[in-house]
Amino acid sequence: MKSNAVIGKSVARRDLPEKLTGEAKYTSDIRLPEMLYGKIVRSPHPHARIVGIDASRAESIPGVHAILTPFDVPPGRLAPDLPILDRIVRYVGDEVAAVAADDEDLMEYAASLIEVEYELLPFVASARHAMESSAPQVHAGGNLVGGEPLVLSRGNVDEGFEQADRIFTMSFCTPAHSPAPLEPRAAIALWKDEKLTVWKTTRGVHADRMNLASALGIERDSVRVIGATLGAGFGGKDESRLSVIAAELARRAGKPVKIEATREEEFVAGRKRHSTETTLKVGVKNDGAITALHQTTLMDTGAYLASGPGVVRRAGQGALYLYRCPNVRYDGYLVYTNQPSAASYRALGAPQGHFALEVTMNHIADELGIDPLEFRLRNHVGIEGQPGERITPINEIVDTQPVEGGIPFSSNGLRECLKYGAKAFGWNDKLSPPLQSEGHLKTGKGMCMFIYRGGPGGRSSARLRLDSDGAVRLIAGLMDVGEGSSTVIAQIAAEALGAPYDAVRVTFGDTEYTPEAPLTAGSTATFSTGAAAKQAAEEMRANILGIAATHLDDDVSRLDISDGYVVSKDGNVRLRLADIAEIVGGHGIETEASIMPGSRDYIVNSFGAHFAEVEVDTETGSVRVLRYVAAHDSGRILNPRLATNQVEGGISQMLGFTLSEEMLTDTHSGVTINANFLEHKSPTIQEYPPIEVIFADVVDPVGPFGAKALGEPPSIGPAPAIINAIYDAVGVRITDLPATPDKILNALSQQREE
Amino acid sequence: MYGFEFVTARDAAEASKLLERNDGVVRIIAGGTDLLGEIKERTIHPEKLVSLQNNEDIRRIRIYDEGVLIGAMSTLADIAANPDIRRMYPAFAEACISVATPQIRNIGTIGGNLCQRPRCWYYRNYHFDCLKKGGDACFALDGANKFHAIFDAEICPAVHPSDTAVALIAVDARVLLISSSGARMMPIEEFFVGPDVGVTTENVLRADEMLAEVIIPSPVRNSRSVFVKAKERQAMDFALASVALSADLDGEVVTGARIVLGGVAPTPRRALGAEELLAGTRLVDVNADDIGRIAVEAAKPLADNRFKVRLTSGLVSRAVRMLLGESVPEASSR
Repeated sequence: MKSNAVIGKSVARRDLPEKLTGEAKYTSDIRLPEMLYGKIVRSPHPHARIVGIDASRAESIPGVHAILTPFDVPPGRLAPDLPILDRIVRYVGDEVAAVAADDEDLMEYAASLIEVEYELLPFVASARHAMESSAPQVHAGGNLVGGEPLVLSRGNVDEGFEQADRIFTMSFCTPAHSPAPLEPRAAIALWKDEKLTVWKTTRGVHADRMNLASALGIERDSVRVIGATLGAGFGGKDESRLSVIAAELARRAGKPVKIEATREEEFVAGRKRHSTETTLKVGVKNDGAITALHQTTLMDTGAYLASGPGVVRRAGQGALYLYRCPNVRYDGYLVYTNQPSAASYRALGAPQGHFALEVTMNHIADELGIDPLEFRLRNHVGIEGQPGERITPINEIVDTQPVEGGIPFSSNGLRECLKYGAKAFGWNDKLSPPLQSEGHLKTGKGMCMFIYRGGPGGRSSARLRLDSDGAVRLIAGLMDVGEGSSTVIAQIAAEALGAPYDAVRVTFGDTEYTPEAPLTAGSTATFSTGAAAKQAAEEMRANILGIAATHLDDDVSRLDISDGYVVSKDGNVRLRLADIAEIVGGHGIETEASIMPGSRDYIVNSFGAHFAEVEVDTETGSVRVLRYVAAHDSGRILNPRLATNQVEGGISQMLGFTLSEEMLTDTHSGVTINANFLEHKSPTIQEYPPIEVIFADVVDPVGPFGAKALGEPPSIGPAPAIINAIYDAVGVRITDLPATPDKILNALSQQREE
Repeated sequence: MYGFEFVTARDAAEASKLLERNDGVVRIIAGGTDLLGEIKERTIHPEKLVSLQNNEDIRRIRIYDEGVLIGAMSTLADIAANPDIRRMYPAFAEACISVATPQIRNIGTIGGNLCQRPRCWYYRNYHFDCLKKGGDACFALDGANKFHAIFDAEICPAVHPSDTAVALIAVDARVLLISSSGARMMPIEEFFVGPDVGVTTENVLRADEMLAEVIIPSPVRNSRSVFVKAKERQAMDFALASVALSADLDGEVVTGARIVLGGVAPTPRRALGAEELLAGTRLVDVNADDIGRIAVEAAKPLADNRFKVRLTSGLVSRAVRMLLGESVPEASSR
């Protein structure tokens, strides 16, 4: 096999110059002629029925062009539990009504004049409370989503616990956690000749088009969605009412309408990571072998469901699959409350589940007197997968979140991650000594490992077109949400075709010009759309070689494409790609591949191991992460610089989840009390540790050019690695995130009393 | 954002004139880092903002033998960078540096820092019509109160947010307040008042008055001062608790001491018991832990902020150890 020309090279990300020079157009930058500004009136109550709305004062103001209330919206829905506007409001900040006006001041003023009469309803502030039979119902049909928990099991946990020498049970809490993107969500809607065009913050233009069309009761072909440059995705930016409200206001006003969330609105009415309570029960033999593992998770989806079922499912996957164990069970409860709505956020439930799992495993290792690294080396799931029988029919694609045993992984670099990571960290070396060993600064080390879906997503398509100037255009319905898919997938296409990277142009994120595509979600873009792009490029390569062979009157087997030229096997240039385009004439060459990514024989999963050294100040309770090593098996790394950025970003983001960030609501009123960047304590550059990123560089036999998923996995490790390190430093195990100074000091005080 | 009129006054006299006979609808704006936030948060609705941004006098720092005069519109960055202030009042310089971010210190002023309003998340949220806004209930007392007061927390437990006030009380600074009807000067300690005196304010400033100047007497020949602050993150954060400690020394004996606590009470609070324990003690006999313990003796924490008692005690001990010249390791530099 010849060496790769483009794959594995750190080409600069495609949108870098535009972003660095300020040329990039974010949704907020777009201004249309005659554009109006829309404002959403939000509920001050956590649960209420809207009895009436008097908008007459707002309506009478010159410059106010449209008003929308739940009494006059179209009947469509964005999701089964989410009408365009509803006569019941379910959290403080829920959408009540909307207004469009000539400018932002007028819009604010008009919104303040809309009078809403509420009939207050009893509300439920926590998932635990929502489970009680007497709890107020957030939606008809009960607070427990689906009426019963999600139960997944392999083997028999009762028998497994009977075989155990020791059984450990621990409980954990994680908070509602905002992705806090720098860019708040925004949308602009324009109607022309009964057709709707929407520019918005998004991670999936085709999904948006479908949702908008069904909510507004119009044909999908009548809707065009354009994804502007995105100021961070992280799983958010969808699943809210903002764009459909903009569309309906614009339809009524007969003018385009922009709605842009304020920072407060983004925090409150954006979507966030689900808060959880998890109990983990683990049975082990004295030598550390795990005989049974049972996780129970209670998850708060807030007022609306969004992607909740997927999130609760993913929270159990670590317990089900990371450790070799014949008897496992996961009970997941997803519950409605009158809290702001949760939804998709980087790695869905995996960080919450792995936090519980990996802190418990450290506790067990300590209790058994086994080094935590050694404990994991003994017990991690191997390439052969879990014990048991395959249930999935032999000709079906294997789920990336299996429960059953008996199916091997396509590749499994867990052991490499543990070993390379430990070596780089110096796990067995002495730590850098505290500057004053007897003083108030204590250092400690911690580690963890994790497992995640490896990249196969839904049906994915890519189109390739050879333009008349010899350039190649890659066309996909995907959004580049900032992670770099428009760079990396172009690298795949260039490599498979034999073109230089610079010859590949990209059209993404516009429903008008692209084939249908799934959301940029679940770390699937490179693996899934990348595989489609590779196939389309291979087809184009075959076409070009065939055309060249005919034109040159040569044999296809003696021709190749390299660096954008058709060459003989001896390297002599025979034709340029532009020549091919000229020979073909007309529309040039176009190929398209639509694939169902994945494997019928293997589980495709990504893996990693994280290591942290922390310093705890026992007087102030403050924790500093001194250094961090992240070892990842994400298959072959297609663009090392982007991949490294991705890992560093995930760790930095989850440093907040671990140590400082949470969304807080007042329990008496349901009001979010820290919806700003002061009280929502995102870490600053001063908190970020030096991060060493290591890739196991396992080549996956299934993924395009050997690649597997990378986008989300880095966000799984920080919480358990850092919390385990805090325990190593000061002997307290924080089980309730974030580990803020108050919790550290309280735990230290309690430790002193004991 | 709520509309208002913006007026630039030539000098303090003109500004005072504009402030005459107003009941809070005319406000002085200095750096605006807090005031504009309050307007955006819909906490206050002034009609007119009066700025002295073009007046050089009120942003001047003047050093005399007797002490230092600091114009109220001197920025925190300028104060922190002033070599005389760093030498004479290291705790005060350190307090200035500990505020917020470089961007805010470049525009935020000493007058604004002393007059800023509390950060209580109920006071700052338009959903809550709390005591401090003239409402009839405090939502923090049985709400989320981990950042709130552990001293004098009975009426309104919002803590005073100023770091510089803590350091200025430790060095016995005074403030000059002016209005069109005259001027008054007072020890800065008396400038601040608790909710028992007036819950809708944190100081004695009248609506027609402005804080014009901070005056710090020269330190006695052999004095030392230190400032320590604990926060949840290293930058851009208010104090969970802070301590300023200033001590006068005669040889190896502490002749006088001030220990002032920030972030733990509705006003900056002197720890008088701890001061007494320190004063009159020979340096070799000072017990930092005892002083820390006595400093929090009167604390009555709320449901969520018991940790602040331990934290404050530890910070006082740390300040004492720093005063004694013991090496107190700062968190690792990287």
